Amino acid sequence: MRNLERIFNPKSIAVLGAKSDIKSVGWGLMKNVLEGKTKRKIFVVNPFKKEVFGIKCFPSIKSINETIDLAIIVVPARIVLKVVKECCEKRVGGLIIISSGFAERGEKGQILQKKITEMVKQAKIPLIGPNVLGIIRPSKNLNASFAPATPNQGKIAVVSQSGALIDSIIDRSLFENYGFSTLISYGNEADLELSDFLLWLKKDKETKVIAVYLEGLKNGQKFMKVAKEVVKIKPIVIIKAGRSKKGVEAITTHTASLAGDYEIYSAAFKQIGLIQVDTVEQLFDTAKSLAWQPKCKNNIGIVTNGGGCGVLMADYCDELGIKLAKLSKTTLKKLAKTKKMHFACSKRNPLDIIGDALAVRYKIGIEALLAQKDIYGLIIIQTLQIMTEPQKNAKIIVRAKKKWPKKPIICAFLGGKITKKGIEILEKNQIPNYSDLKRAAWAMKVLIKQ
Amino acid sequence: MALLNFEETKKLLRKYKIPLCKTKISKSKEQAIKIAEKIGYPLVLKIAPLKIVHKTKINGVKTGIKNEKQLKKTWDNLSKVKEIEGILIQKMLSGREIVLGIKRDLQLGSVLMFGLGGIFVEVVKDVSFRICPVSKKQAEKMVKEIKGYPVLSNEVNIKQIIKIIVNLSKLAGRQKKIKEIDLNPIIVNEKKALVVDAKIIV
Repeated sequence: MRNLERIFNPKSIAVLGAKSDIKSVGWGLMKNVLEGKTKRKIFVVNPFKKEVFGIKCFPSIKSINETIDLAIIVVPARIVLKVVKECCEKRVGGLIIISSGFAERGEKGQILQKKITEMVKQAKIPLIGPNVLGIIRPSKNLNASFAPATPNQGKIAVVSQSGALIDSIIDRSLFENYGFSTLISYGNEADLELSDFLLWLKKDKETKVIAVYLEGLKNGQKFMKVAKEVVKIKPIVIIKAGRSKKGVEAITTHTASLAGDYEIYSAAFKQIGLIQVDTVEQLFDTAKSLAWQPKCKNNIGIVTNGGGCGVLMADYCDELGIKLAKLSKTTLKKLAKTKKMHFACSKRNPLDIIGDALAVRYKIGIEALLAQKDIYGLIIIQTLQIMTEPQKNAKIIVRAKKKWPKKPIICAFLGGKITKKGIEILEKNQIPNYSDLKRAAWAMKVLIKQ
Repeated sequence: MALLNFEETKKLLRKYKIPLCKTKISKSKEQAIKIAEKIGYPLVLKIAPLKIVHKTKINGVKTGIKNEKQLKKTWDNLSKVKEIEGILIQKMLSGREIVLGIKRDLQLGSVLMFGLGGIFVEVVKDVSFRICPVSKKQAEKMVKEIKGYPVLSNEVNIKQIIKIIVNLSKLAGRQKKIKEIDLNPIIVNEKKALVVDAKIIV
C-alpha cells in the first residue's frame, strides 16, 4: 500500500498557480485551501504576483524554506512538467495536478502525461491526477479542490472518475443530513489509481462505506484483487457509466456480441461483492443506509399507518428478496393487551396500525416487533393524516433504536413540508429516511447479510 | 483471426473433458454413407467451415435426416458451400439447448457466458456472465441466475452443465492463444450434456 498520509493529512500545502482573479480555478482552489489555514501552513507560488489573497507569493516552490507535504498544481498544462520537476526536487510529500490538457486531450497530452508519470514514479512521490477537481476531507478542514463548498463531515467516502459530479453531490448533500469522510476526484490516474484509493480508504477510520463513480478501469486485474480485499472490511457501492452500446452484429461469436463492456463490468462487480446501482440517487441512498445502520439477517418487520403503503412495501420486499417475518403469538398478545390498537389493526406483518394512529400506537407497534427475537430489522412507514405526529413518532423511533442498536431501522416518512421536521429528527440520529417506499425497501435490502 | 479446424477443436475439447456429441467428418459421399450406418439415423449434417461463418445463416445445417436417400441429397447440397473442409455427421439428440462462450476483455481477463440456446440467446439475450476462473459455486450461481432457469431445472442434468462451465473456465485460463469460443448449442437432457457445435477462434 502507498503511503498517502502527507496528501490526505498535510501539515503544509503549497498552491502552485494560485490566483486572485475571481471565478478562476486558481482562485476557487485558494479560497477552499484557506479554510484550513489554522490547521496547517499555506504557501503560494506564483512568479507573476506579489501576493494572492493577501499572502506573499514565492517565485518557485524551491524558494520556500520549509518542508511541503502537499503541492497542488493549477498552472497551464504546458508548464506543468517544469513545475512537477521542481516539486520532485523539493521532495514534496505528494502532488495533486488539477490542470487539464493531458491524456484526455489526444496524443500530445498523452505524451506529456507519460513524462509526468515517469518523473513522479522515479522520485517516488505519489500523484493524484491530472485533470481532477481535487480532494476534500471535512474532518481535517482540508479542501484541496475548486468545489463549490465543503460538505459536512460523515462516514461516506466518494471516489469519482468525474470531478463535476462530486461538485453536485456536495451541493446536494448540504440539503441532506449525510456527510463525507473523504471525497477524491481521481481523473487520469497518471500515477495513483482507483485501487490505491480503495486500499487507503480500507484503513481510514472515518470511512464506513465507499461510493465509487466509474467510467473505465485502468488496471482491471489489480482492481478485482484489491476490491475483493476491501469489501471484506467495508462495503463498496458502485455506479458504472457507459451502458449504452450500438447494436453489435454477431460477426464472430454470440459471446463476443453479447458480452459488452457494461455486462462484463457488472459480472465482475457481482463476483467481487460490490453493490452496483443504476442512478446517482441510488448511490447515496445505499451509502447512507450502510453508513448509518448495522447489517442484519433476513427477516424483517414493517410498521405502517397506511394499508396501501404496507402492501406496496411488501411487494417491493418480495421483489428484492427481503423476507417478511411472521408475527409471533407473544407479539400479537402484547399488541392486544395494550387495548390501544384500532379494531381493524392488521394483526400480521406488515403491521397496519391504521391511519388515525397517534404516536402511542407507533410506540406499541415498534417496540412489540423489535422485541420479537426473529425480527432482525424494521421498516417504518408514516403517511400523513391530520392527526399524525411526525416529530413525536420520530422521537419514539430514535429511542427504540437506542434500545435495539443491533437491529437496523429504515424509515419511509412520506410527505413534504409537514413531515420534514420529523425526518430531520430521524436523520440527525442517523436513522435513514426515504421519501419513496421502493427506495426504502432497497435501503433495507443492502443491509441484509448474504 | 482464424478458426480452429474440426480435428483441433475435437482434440482441445477432449483435453479439457468437455464432452462433444459423437461427430465424424466426411470428405466424400461414400464415406458419409458408411459413417451414417455406424452412427445410426436420425442424423444431423452440417458443414465444417474453413473461415468464420454463421452456419445456420448460410443454410449450412440440416437436421432430421432419416435415411440414406435424404442423406445423399443433403450431402450434395451442403458440399456446394465454398471454403469447407468437409461435412460433419452427428447423431441427432433431443433435449434443451444451452450456450456457453468465452470472450477476452483487455481489462478484466476472460469472460464466460452462459445462457439458454436458440432463440433465447439471439432474441431474449437471457444470459449470465462471470470473470474466469469460475468456481463450481459461481458456476451454479450463474446457471440459476438466468430468467429461463425453471425451463432447465425441471428437466435436465444441471450438474453436467456446471462441470462443463468449470472445465471451459480452465481451458480459457490455460489456452492463451484462444480469442473467443462459442459452444452453441450444447444439448442437455436428464442424463447428459453434449456439445453439438463449437466455434473456437484463435
